[in-house]
Amino acid sequence: MSVLEFEGVHTYYGESHILQGLDLTVEDDEIVALVGRNGVGKTTTLRTALGLTPPRRGTVRFKGEDVTGREPHEIAGGGMGWVPEDRRVFAHLTVAENLRVAAHAAADPDARIGEAYDLFPALERFADKEAGDLSGGQQQMLAIARGMLGDNDLLLVDEPSEGLAPQIVSDVVEALRAASADTTMVLVEQNFRLAMDLADRFYLVDHGVVVEEGDTDGVTSEDERIRRYLTA
Amino acid sequence: MTLADYARDHAVHAAVVLVFFLYPPVNGALESSPLAAETAAFLPGITFMIAVLYMGLFAMSFDFVSGYTGYLSFGHAAFYGTGAYFVVLAANGQIPGIPGGTPFMITLLLGALLAALLALVIGSVSFRLTGVYFAMITLGFAQVIYELIRSWGYVSTNPQEGATIGGDGLAIGVPYVDALSLRVGRLTGTSVENLLGLGIDVSATVVSYYALGAVVLASYFAMQRILHSPFGRVMVAIRENEERARAVGYPTYRFKLAAFAISGFFGAVAGGIFAAYARSVSPDNSYFFLVTADALITTIIGGFGTLAGPLFGTAFHQWLEDVLSTESGGLATYIREGVPATVLETDVFGLSVELFVNTALAGRAPLYLGIVFVLFVLFVPNGILGTVRDRLGGTVGKRLPERLRRYRR
Amino acid sequence: MSATALSLGVADPAPLLATGGAADGLRTAVRVLVEGLGKAAVYFTIAVGLTLVFGLMGVLNFAHGAVTMVGAYLGGLVLVLVVGSGTGTLATIGVFFAAMAIVFAVTTAAGSLIELKLIRPIYDRTPTYQILLTFGVSLIIEEVARIVLTLRGIQPDPQWQAPMGTAPDVLLGRTDFLGIAVRRLYLFEVLIGGVVLVAVWLFLTRTLYGLYIRAGSEDTEMVQALGIDVRRAFTVVFGVGTGLAAVGGVLLMWDPIWGPSVLLSIDVLLYAFVVVIIGGLGSFRGTVVAAGIVGIADSVTTWLFTTGVVTFSGLSEVTIFLLLVGMLIVRPQGLYGVEEVGGH
Repeated sequence: MSVLEFEGVHTYYGESHILQGLDLTVEDDEIVALVGRNGVGKTTTLRTALGLTPPRRGTVRFKGEDVTGREPHEIAGGGMGWVPEDRRVFAHLTVAENLRVAAHAAADPDARIGEAYDLFPALERFADKEAGDLSGGQQQMLAIARGMLGDNDLLLVDEPSEGLAPQIVSDVVEALRAASADTTMVLVEQNFRLAMDLADRFYLVDHGVVVEEGDTDGVTSEDERIRRYLTA
Repeated sequence: MTLADYARDHAVHAAVVLVFFLYPPVNGALESSPLAAETAAFLPGITFMIAVLYMGLFAMSFDFVSGYTGYLSFGHAAFYGTGAYFVVLAANGQIPGIPGGTPFMITLLLGALLAALLALVIGSVSFRLTGVYFAMITLGFAQVIYELIRSWGYVSTNPQEGATIGGDGLAIGVPYVDALSLRVGRLTGTSVENLLGLGIDVSATVVSYYALGAVVLASYFAMQRILHSPFGRVMVAIRENEERARAVGYPTYRFKLAAFAISGFFGAVAGGIFAAYARSVSPDNSYFFLVTADALITTIIGGFGTLAGPLFGTAFHQWLEDVLSTESGGLATYIREGVPATVLETDVFGLSVELFVNTALAGRAPLYLGIVFVLFVLFVPNGILGTVRDRLGGTVGKRLPERLRRYRR
Repeated sequence: MSATALSLGVADPAPLLATGGAADGLRTAVRVLVEGLGKAAVYFTIAVGLTLVFGLMGVLNFAHGAVTMVGAYLGGLVLVLVVGSGTGTLATIGVFFAAMAIVFAVTTAAGSLIELKLIRPIYDRTPTYQILLTFGVSLIIEEVARIVLTLRGIQPDPQWQAPMGTAPDVLLGRTDFLGIAVRRLYLFEVLIGGVVLVAVWLFLTRTLYGLYIRAGSEDTEMVQALGIDVRRAFTVVFGVGTGLAAVGGVLLMWDPIWGPSVLLSIDVLLYAFVVVIIGGLGSFRGTVVAAGIVGIADSVTTWLFTTGVVTFSGLSEVTIFLLLVGMLIVRPQGLYGVEEVGGH
């Protein structure tokens, strides 16, 4: 059974037609990368999956169930996590409080947060610090940890390397690998090599539709079928 | 444009003006007909219609800036109050440089210009803000002036109560030409006996109604012209998307300031004719926040961003006030006099019908206005005129004649 | 009854005028400060609910003052019904707290209902409509209050004197505080304001809902995406905000400057606006600090007027609204507000 399915999805932002009949399928335990130029609808795809920007037409299925038009908190509560662009940590809450919000549904929240600390030891050191005072890399770790805490079956990760120094990016990649051990993941990433490195399969998106898809093995941004969609 | 085109474009305007024009004689005729009791109970008296005029103009001036640029002018009472106080103080010779006896039309204009200047001052700092913050800073300015005027001993010996006009009624018309001027005020206005030898008497109140109506009509057309000019289109562009308006090269800040000044000008005209008719002004009926709130409510009911809508909203408000007042007939009086005493004394849940009428109907217009207002916000967010325009697919003035022609064929 | 209220309402200028050197000056300063803190406690209590609601929901609740007015009357009703001439001081204060609890419970429920039935349907519209709707609700509340009061034979304004008469004698006089005669009512108000402050602070920092509120105030969408039903949090917060408005009313019930009257509605609303805007819309800390600033400014200007330094009677009110305007000019987001000036 597929974890996530889009069938002819059309999504609008006001009057702008962003997703124009997008189809995709994400299978259990795989990492799927969404690649393409800026503004082609990758972030909107993630927002549509979560119900934050509901589609006007088409169907979104999560774990085989039609979730089109459901409230975001219902979809998220059903096991979909989100690591948004720009991280969006709660800046005036402490690290521990950020994690506590995410672990609200767990039977034993403290135990779950403990597990997150085991995965990201740096976060435990700053547990009582306000999230806004953390460095960019640390905030990204926190955002990933927060996305994992809801016992999610699917994690949507948006531009995790954006604005980070190269050596920090490798830490983030490690974190994502660790996170993907027991969840399926959809990754939006500008850095093409990084995306191919992390993901099992990719979808190339242009003007709100999928134009190419396949395994990531051996694919480089120099392939003609890729290149013409990535260069301006 | 031919005269016929012009007439067709303004057919609806003409119809509305005609209704307002014919209202006093029709109302008068009904009052001496067998329907006298019903007329007194359900049709607003002339004093309430006069309130429709000045409050309607004030609401239109509020809508001019708030409805067309999207900036809620929560301190709009500042302009109404400035117009009203200026007229009263000028009439009493209390404004330096303006001798007592200066014609009302001139002091009205000067007061309105002062208010426009005030709007420029308030606007110059306020328009750096948007949304709730703009609403709050304008409210703050108005409240500061309200508190100042309440304690300013120069106005009168009891500034909390405001000031009154001594002397003759103020005249609307051509300054210095008595033949072309009408004095206003319930007791001080011009009254006409045996009009044109037709044996018709026109009371001072009715004369005031027509005189104020002329000012309101002129003000309405002035604002309407501005809104239909390129200037007005920029105002709407600011409301729809200010970023874009700025991006295509409009100095939006200056446009907003100018719109605010114009709206302040007409707000002050409304305050000025109110003061001239009422012959008095107080902080609470001019500068207070609830005066702005009144305009806000009638604007929403009439139609936000429609200019004429607020006048109809005000008409509804004043009709409600009249029907539920006990001053001049009204529903409560009608029930008390028309319903048998046995019914009046019947107890329902421990309350007699009479007690209910006295407490829940008489003078309770604000309650029902509040309920209607909430229902409009929930279910008719575009107001009366806005909804009608949506249905017709354009302004009533443009679409109604087209529709009528289609039916005629 | 009205005589005591009157003597409380007008500060007796004699001790204030007696200037005898630095010691007296210091004493006066401390008295003005204590009175300022008393006023600050009142301002805080009437504003804190408004700030919570705006912080989470972005709704500027124009019905806030109307609820405070209802709270003053309901609290007054409880006291008038329960407290008799034989009721002791402690028992009266006990009744006062019980009245606060009852009024809080009733109005919280009512506020939640208003959010569910009236505000929820219009969240997708521009914030203007939420302002309009709550303003309409306040009109209705005021008029219903007038009707009920008239039926009970109570004048809607000026103040309803009966509940003021239930204030225990202990609170009416002055107490000697480091050699300074301080009006005890102010100390009582500081106490209640402190209790409310601590209670709200504990709610925000020690409860799960408080956590949701603080997170939601920063980023509502993110909270939703973490599987939390933000709408339900909205209902709870609007309820609690309404309940806090009413608690403010109960506090005002014994204060002769305010006291239960239908006019309280608009007065409270305007002052609460000033406080939350100076502090920064939606900031709890800002509301605390701003209430302090406004309270002290109020007591200093009142002192300047009563001692005759300034003969302008509207000084206090003008100063407070000037603070609002000045803050919006200099720093529109307020002391602790987030910098996104008036985003629609």
